[in-house]
Amino acid sequence: MQKKTRTERLVWIDLMLTLLSLELMSYFYYGTRSLALAGVCVSAALISEILSLRVMKKRFTADDMTCTSDALIIALMLPAVMDYKIGAAAVVFAVVCAKNIFGGRRNMIFSPAAAAYVFVLTSWGRKMLLYPAPHDKTGIFENAEDLISSASYLYNTTGKVEHSDFELLLGNFSGPAGAVSILLLMLAAVILIFRRDISAGAFLGTITGTAVLAMISPVSDSRSETIKYVFAFNMILFAAIYVVADKRIAPKKQYFAFFYGLFIGIFSYILLITTAQENVIVIVSVLFTPIALAFKNLEKKIADANISSENDLVTDDNSGPDMPIILAEDGELPVIEGEAEVSELIKELSETVEEGIDNE
Amino acid sequence: MNKERSSVFAGITWDNMVLSSLMVISPVIVCGDTLRNAEALVYAFSSITMLSVCIASFVPKKLPYALKVIIYALISSLVFIPVKVAAQEFYPGIVLRVGIYFPLLAVNSLIVFQTEAKFFKLKKIPMFFTVLFYVIGFDIVMLLTGIIREFLAYGTINGKVTDVDMLISGLSQPFGGFIFLGLMCGLYRKIRSMFSKEVSEVRSEADVSGK
Repeated sequence: MQKKTRTERLVWIDLMLTLLSLELMSYFYYGTRSLALAGVCVSAALISEILSLRVMKKRFTADDMTCTSDALIIALMLPAVMDYKIGAAAVVFAVVCAKNIFGGRRNMIFSPAAAAYVFVLTSWGRKMLLYPAPHDKTGIFENAEDLISSASYLYNTTGKVEHSDFELLLGNFSGPAGAVSILLLMLAAVILIFRRDISAGAFLGTITGTAVLAMISPVSDSRSETIKYVFAFNMILFAAIYVVADKRIAPKKQYFAFFYGLFIGIFSYILLITTAQENVIVIVSVLFTPIALAFKNLEKKIADANISSENDLVTDDNSGPDMPIILAEDGELPVIEGEAEVSELIKELSETVEEGIDNE
Repeated sequence: MNKERSSVFAGITWDNMVLSSLMVISPVIVCGDTLRNAEALVYAFSSITMLSVCIASFVPKKLPYALKVIIYALISSLVFIPVKVAAQEFYPGIVLRVGIYFPLLAVNSLIVFQTEAKFFKLKKIPMFFTVLFYVIGFDIVMLLTGIIREFLAYGTINGKVTDVDMLISGLSQPFGGFIFLGLMCGLYRKIRSMFSKEVSEVRSEADVSGK
């Protein structure tokens, strides 16, 4: 239990470190306004988390700091010059409506960040999809001018890309504050996968689904270009790391998680080429939460079935009607053959039960 | 006596049909985005339900349950016709906008299910007042939802523009209505449990979380 809590906190720290590096990049391109937006979002998340936990008669603990990583994800998905009030409203929605109403961090159905993104998209769609150009810095209290459509929008509607590969890697094109730094995102993905902070299965599933569809139905002149641009735009990489591969949402078993990610990748690409909707992967990930829940239920059923069959095995082994119990000379029970295996089995069982209780 | 009186008023106090039993929520979620829509639905729901339940109370009780339910639905469908004609007069355009949810009010669960389960077990006069307060309970929720959602989503109240700085247009959509109603239900239950110790005790006994 203690180990699990510690692991949860380490995951949060790792996520925060990668998100802060993206925030730093955003500061480099858009100035202090981007930092101020992130600060507002994190503060709003903390306040709403503390208040909603108090209403639920629960204590705020260090584990509840995960709301800040969700807030930072939301801030990085918004334009750097987004209205502070909208950013705060999105975060409050994520913490209260998408997380705590369903029972808090242990009973999450949606990714709070993805749900908040969809909420903002439906409520303030026009503001949400207009971005400042890189290096166009706005003051903390200034209103942004000369906002432009994102490079993703241009690519989705015309198939044209006006940026070099180097610019794409560094995120030197218009788009959400932190979801465009492709090189940094690739590094973050590798680090988080190796440190087991995100679901590798879900991440690889999303990438595979998108890549396979891009190969089958290319949008650009060549297949390789399509794959390159598909991952650079529409927040595919960002969403695959921080939304789809979120360990709290994705199925635990890697192969289930892979198929969960695969379905999201495939459907988001189909929607992308049919509707040209920007950042559609975030919407699809919210719509696919029933799939994640179904996989989780399946996992639980399989685990229950395994436990009951193991129990049956143990009972069968020990319930022989005429099994003689022969004591050793010193009165102790004799060491029977296979005892080590039985104790190992009991240990495994108790761990599984403990994990189940933790999940509850 | 007090208990009897409180059960008559139950429809607007501790047994609100929308917030407590989650009945007839689809028109509230989908169509309750403006006060004008809410008014039209309140008018239709109140007149159809009151008239249908009162007329249906004269149906012989000895008839089989399945037959009685069909007769109740037929009565409410007949009541629906003049109500719709009048609605087109009073609320032109709204009936079209509300769409399928308008005729669906004719077969709402208050008429089809609650009549047999609750109302027809009472005598005529208490039954009339009980139904009346249930209907008022629905009307209050519908109007409140319409006012708040219109104010937050469009920045207007009954079409009059207000000075709102930030509009949340997502609230005008069904998913926004769903979330809003969910929050209202939570608030209602919280207030109800604060006023009624019995209810909270029953709730805590019924807690199966095991924590």
